Amino acid sequence: MDVVLRAEDIHKSYGKTKVLKGISFEVGRGETKVICGPSGAGKSTLLRCLNLLTRPDKGRVWLEDVELTSPSVNINKMRQRIGFVFQEFNLFNHLTALDNVMIGLTKVKKLPKDEARRIAKEALLTVHITEDLWNKYPAQLSGGQKQRVAIARALAMDPVIILYDEPTSALDPHLIGEVLEVMKELARRKVTGLVVTHEIGFALSVADEIMFMYNGKIVERGPPKEVVFNPKHEVTARFFKRISELYGGRK
Amino acid sequence: MFWAYVPYMLAGVLWTFALVGGGLGLGFLIGLPIAIGQVYGGRVVKAFLDVYVWFFRGVPLLVLLFLFYWGVFPALGHKLPALEASIIVLGLRSGAYQSQIFRGAIESVGEGQMVAARSLGMSRVSAILHIILPQALRIAIPGWTNEYAILLKDSAICFTLGVLEILTRTRYVVIATGEALLPYITAGFLFIFLTYGGTKVLNVIYEKTRIPGLVWRM
Repeated sequence: MDVVLRAEDIHKSYGKTKVLKGISFEVGRGETKVICGPSGAGKSTLLRCLNLLTRPDKGRVWLEDVELTSPSVNINKMRQRIGFVFQEFNLFNHLTALDNVMIGLTKVKKLPKDEARRIAKEALLTVHITEDLWNKYPAQLSGGQKQRVAIARALAMDPVIILYDEPTSALDPHLIGEVLEVMKELARRKVTGLVVTHEIGFALSVADEIMFMYNGKIVERGPPKEVVFNPKHEVTARFFKRISELYGGRK
Repeated sequence: MFWAYVPYMLAGVLWTFALVGGGLGLGFLIGLPIAIGQVYGGRVVKAFLDVYVWFFRGVPLLVLLFLFYWGVFPALGHKLPALEASIIVLGLRSGAYQSQIFRGAIESVGEGQMVAARSLGMSRVSAILHIILPQALRIAIPGWTNEYAILLKDSAICFTLGVLEILTRTRYVVIATGEALLPYITAGFLFIFLTYGGTKVLNVIYEKTRIPGLVWRM
């Protein structure tokens, strides 16, 4: 398999608190993998270690054949190729939806404005942000629209992989669907993704693998149906039982 | 007769403008980099900038004027004319105050903006330039308007060096006419009008540059 992202024995501590205790996994081209687990398990920290927004204390990360954790790597250059979608959207407040998607293309990739605009519009249409919203500012958009613009911003950079950090956790329940739908479409189009989420329905319908994190470690991994319905570990079983009670079996 | 001297007093407005414009401009050029350094700089840089702010906020303006005009500039071998010396001192001091306006503004932009910019592959410098400052400068406008109003009135202290601004001219008129009430009232109103006009202009700029829909959580 063509591995695009590989993490090897990632460790991270804040002070005396060990947040990550040796995480290893790979993501192949076109795959969608889901990381879930209770809060405090280290999921967000792990994602941030993958594009070095947080530097791991130990361990190595590869994007395709480049080792990101090597000191000689130009990390700004590599981050262009790793999309990142935040729980809190983090759209640039002072830019319109269109400019939010364009700015990475013009200021980072140094593309000419016309080309950047063309790519940005295409990305916005991919996430179903229609033309009437292109000139709106983030504060004028709903949460679901904001998150879809944020996905377009990542997508426009033509990334090797997109990392999603709980992309629906800050959304009102009735807006979660539109964001998940876009993510599913991307997954089906074989846009490589690594998704931290509690949305089991999403994992069951498009994920190639679920990795269950607990206390800084991946305690269980496997095909979504296996992990969700036949968990081997007690913590995993308890977690999914609670989630399914909460969501009333939503698939 | 006092009224004959009114044009002479009005000409002082230009000098006051020079002091305020020069002081605010220089203060901006000093204050903004200080703010950036205080937020994003290393420990040594921060400590150095803290000393600058501590000094220029701590010493009275009058003392600064005398110190630089009679002391520092001559010691450096450049005895500057009163206007230039005053503008520089007002600018050095305003820089210290403005730095704190900008620092507060930068810090209220929110960490997520920087993180998002970096995740796109922007360098820190580029992120500050394209993402942080365009927002921070908007946030800073009300505070900066205050700084204008304060600096405008502080500029009157430059009469002590004989800069031909409004107050200096007013005092000459008082001496020439033997009349105090009307000249000082006139001077007072000139400052009121300038404060009002300037803050009005800045408020318009604030409204025009407002980001649609956005309420800053500060």
